[in-house]
Amino acid sequence: MGDAERRGGTAGRSSRLTIAGRELAGLSAEKTILLAVAIQLFIAAFSSFLVVGLVSMYDPGALGGAEVEVAGAGDAVSDLERAASEVDGASVTRYEDAGAARLAFERNAADAVVVADRNHEGRIVARVTAPDATVETTVIVVQLRELLRTYELNERADRTAYLTESPLPLPERTGSSPYFTFTYTVLIPVLVFLPVFISGSLVVDSITEEIDEGTLELLRVAPVTLGEIIDGKALAAVAIAPGQALLWLLLLRANGTPVANVPSILALMTALTTLVVALAVAISALAPDRRAAQFLYSIGVLVLFGGATAMAGGPANAVARLAIDSADARTTALVVAYVAIAAVAYAGVRRLVAANGFGD
Amino acid sequence: MIDRLGRVLRVARWEVARAGGGVDRRTLLAALALLLVAGAVLGGGLAVGAVGLDVDRDVYRVAVDGDSPYADAVDEAPALTPVPVGSATLGETADLVVLDVGRGESGAVETVAVRASDTRKGEAAAAEFREAVEAHNERLMADEENATAAFPVAVTLRYVGRTSALDDGSTLGEASDGSGGDDGSDGDDGSGGDDGSDGRGGSGDGSGSDGTDGDDDAGGGTGDAALDGGASGDGSGSDGTDGDDDAGGGTGDAALDGGASGDGFAVPSVGGGTFGADTAGSPGSISPPFPFVSLLLAFVFLVPMNFLIQAYGSSVLDERTNRRGEPLLVTPLSPVDIVAGKTLPYVAAALLVTTVIAVAVGGGALSVIAVLPVALTFLAATFVGAMFARSFKELTFVTVGVSVLLTTYAFVPAVFTNVTPVALVSPLTLVVFDLQGEAVSVGEALFSTGPMALGAALLFGLGLGVYREEDMFTQKPVTRKLLDALAVRLSAVDDAGLADLADRRRLRALGSVAFLTACAIPFVFVVELLAVATLFALPVTVSVPVLLVTIAFVEEVAKSVGLYAGFERGVFARTDRVAVAVGLASAVGFFLAEKATAVVQAVGLTELYVGRAAFGSVAGVDGLSPVAAAALLFAPLLLHGFATTVAAVGASRDRTAYALTLALATLLHAAYNFGVVSVHG
Repeated sequence: MGDAERRGGTAGRSSRLTIAGRELAGLSAEKTILLAVAIQLFIAAFSSFLVVGLVSMYDPGALGGAEVEVAGAGDAVSDLERAASEVDGASVTRYEDAGAARLAFERNAADAVVVADRNHEGRIVARVTAPDATVETTVIVVQLRELLRTYELNERADRTAYLTESPLPLPERTGSSPYFTFTYTVLIPVLVFLPVFISGSLVVDSITEEIDEGTLELLRVAPVTLGEIIDGKALAAVAIAPGQALLWLLLLRANGTPVANVPSILALMTALTTLVVALAVAISALAPDRRAAQFLYSIGVLVLFGGATAMAGGPANAVARLAIDSADARTTALVVAYVAIAAVAYAGVRRLVAANGFGD
Repeated sequence: MIDRLGRVLRVARWEVARAGGGVDRRTLLAALALLLVAGAVLGGGLAVGAVGLDVDRDVYRVAVDGDSPYADAVDEAPALTPVPVGSATLGETADLVVLDVGRGESGAVETVAVRASDTRKGEAAAAEFREAVEAHNERLMADEENATAAFPVAVTLRYVGRTSALDDGSTLGEASDGSGGDDGSDGDDGSGGDDGSDGRGGSGDGSGSDGTDGDDDAGGGTGDAALDGGASGDGSGSDGTDGDDDAGGGTGDAALDGGASGDGFAVPSVGGGTFGADTAGSPGSISPPFPFVSLLLAFVFLVPMNFLIQAYGSSVLDERTNRRGEPLLVTPLSPVDIVAGKTLPYVAAALLVTTVIAVAVGGGALSVIAVLPVALTFLAATFVGAMFARSFKELTFVTVGVSVLLTTYAFVPAVFTNVTPVALVSPLTLVVFDLQGEAVSVGEALFSTGPMALGAALLFGLGLGVYREEDMFTQKPVTRKLLDALAVRLSAVDDAGLADLADRRRLRALGSVAFLTACAIPFVFVVELLAVATLFALPVTVSVPVLLVTIAFVEEVAKSVGLYAGFERGVFARTDRVAVAVGLASAVGFFLAEKATAVVQAVGLTELYVGRAAFGSVAGVDGLSPVAAAALLFAPLLLHGFATTVAAVGASRDRTAYALTLALATLLHAAYNFGVVSVHG
């Protein structure tokens, strides 16, 4: 076998390419790859929608500079007013007593009530009343928390003498978009990994379909070895993955999100694609039919993807660090390790399947 | 009827037997082994601490001196990674440098200066660093002996509805002695008027009474705010909780007291914050009400659907490959029986899984009722996909597409459950309500589940049209299959003289055209909603024009694609007269169905600016003179009639002509929409 394979080296290469070409032609005829890209585009558009939506709930500024009007009462209310002057988007109006403040709240003159009293040992007890189940509750409570934290900081500063260790001063507040971290740590990894799973799924379908319709037997009559058939199919599936990822990264760049270390990211995702494709080949060889194969593949991918996000230094985190340009030597070592693992896994699976055949 | 049920059940039994054979024991064992391995790896990882869900681990590099007090803060923040100051260059190997830690005379840190690189990454790193220092301070304070100085502010947060005339509180627990346990007696109802008093009540006497407060909405107004006691007591401050007793008479409640008698302030653990329950603790422990947990739980309902449709799609496509479904088709069973029987086991499985999940996460019957239409739509869309797909590869993409679209359509509106009533377009919102224990009216439930159930029924109808011998076993591109499926629903329209215009058969044929177009309305709205959501992130100046053209295009396609199918499949005679007739019929069907769905206005969708742009032609007729209103009402009819006739004339020629006239119709429609939006603002 080894001898024959060496002699037919060139023929083997061209038959691999022929099979890969056949796979790609099938894909483009069915236009499935277009559908795949459309699905990914949709996911990308929607995840930004989701984030914009969530952020606008949490960031009152995004809702047009919402100002929360607090009715204040109690003997410590002047300090509360001082805190409010330091917080954007919250103002305190003083009322004579808690009853008056609550009345103002009832009449919609105030968004919330804070009754702040000093107790005998000097602690301030703030009783906060916020409206229940209205649209703005979240926004109001977020602002209230900001206000009360500032209040706490001020009060704590006055009591530093009683503390064994004083709190560290905070650096200046800077404006930063919450989308930034999300884009790099969630959106980019998701976009980079989607093509990986699509490729694996393609291999499962392609192999099980050939087994199912009996065309694999036909192929084997042709002068190609089983290993070459697997190579061809895997080659086609792996080849289409980096292109899709590159498309996303370029799109993000055009959209004003610079992505660093693109070659390393592509190398990492190609290695992962090879790994997933190896998994797909192994599953199609072991599973009795297509349904079982797709089922096992879904579970396998779920496990892999879940593990990938959960691991410290997993591929999702590695992609995030590469993309945001915070990679160090460890990240590079990680990429090399993934490439090695993928190569070993694929070679192992190919060898096993070439020796044992499919489907029995 | 009984007969038919028997037939359906027989097919269902057969399907179950076959599907059971499809996934054999070995496969299940293999899947189980995979999951076990994953569990073991994950468990092992957790044990050695190598596993964490920090996707943002070490994303920002902060240059900080090893002995700086800030080094600890940086170390403890997962997103920050420390780099030595000496070798760091801002912008290249570090995103933020902590400089100049100014110390006062006593040696305590008094000021700090940081410099961030001048990029968005630098800004993000600075914000992250500030949060890290805040978190570090909280931890530092938690270790302090003097809790009063460390946490000088104790907060009790409660949510009160503004509906009641006077929600007054009365305090409880005043002056009771530190025995702690006795409250509960308070909660006197009916006392009504005096609130206010409570606030101070508790304080003053250092007895640790903790009051709790009963919250009694129903009856007599005791309500009360209270909070209490803890505050006044010694040390314990924070734990008053309040019982919320809606029903009856004010027995007060709950009580809590625990810490009251104790001394020493423990940082309170705040429970129940997830659903926005009332909370108490230091300001940092306040969590804004957000249905996040319910939302995640609602998502759990969707996960099994993905596996279900994979099996279902395979089963349907299996019938179509190698003519395997032929024997079944030659039996006296009708296609409806076969499809119903094949689908039944999957619906049953969906119901079963949903019920199990509902029980597990604490949902009730409402959750199951809400998820059922979602499951049906998943199955219906997969059925259509499997009827159209040529190969398993194609089916895989169709299945993925269906999952993604439906999951987002169901999930995304539910995110806004507590924010806007639009959220109700997704049945998952009902699940979130159910998990939060909120009441849902029958109308809301119907509004939420009805359209999706209708959509599922229409999709099944579409797929059933091609569930017959001449279509099932042929391999055609998906688009041509779709035309086949649409053409099945039309009846022939021949070219005829004016005399036959009112012929009954002809009217019925035109009626079928109108009906087919009307059936497209739910899908048009879904697509338009998705378009609104997708374009939401763009600035209004960009999103509105794009949206207007998109919506015009979607509507024009919906009105004319059936006509194109009719001409292509030879159902309609290719003459201009027929084109005008079917074009007008289609426009009328669309117009009537659109008006029937004016409910969007009731739901408040038009409150959103982009929503108004999308549905402007439907809503927004109030506040106008009757003549203008009538004109506005019928202007869309004229528009639809004209645009669709244009497209129909093209459709009656060939594909190129159809594409051109469709573009023309879209432009006309978009121009009209733009006029409406600019008039209404």
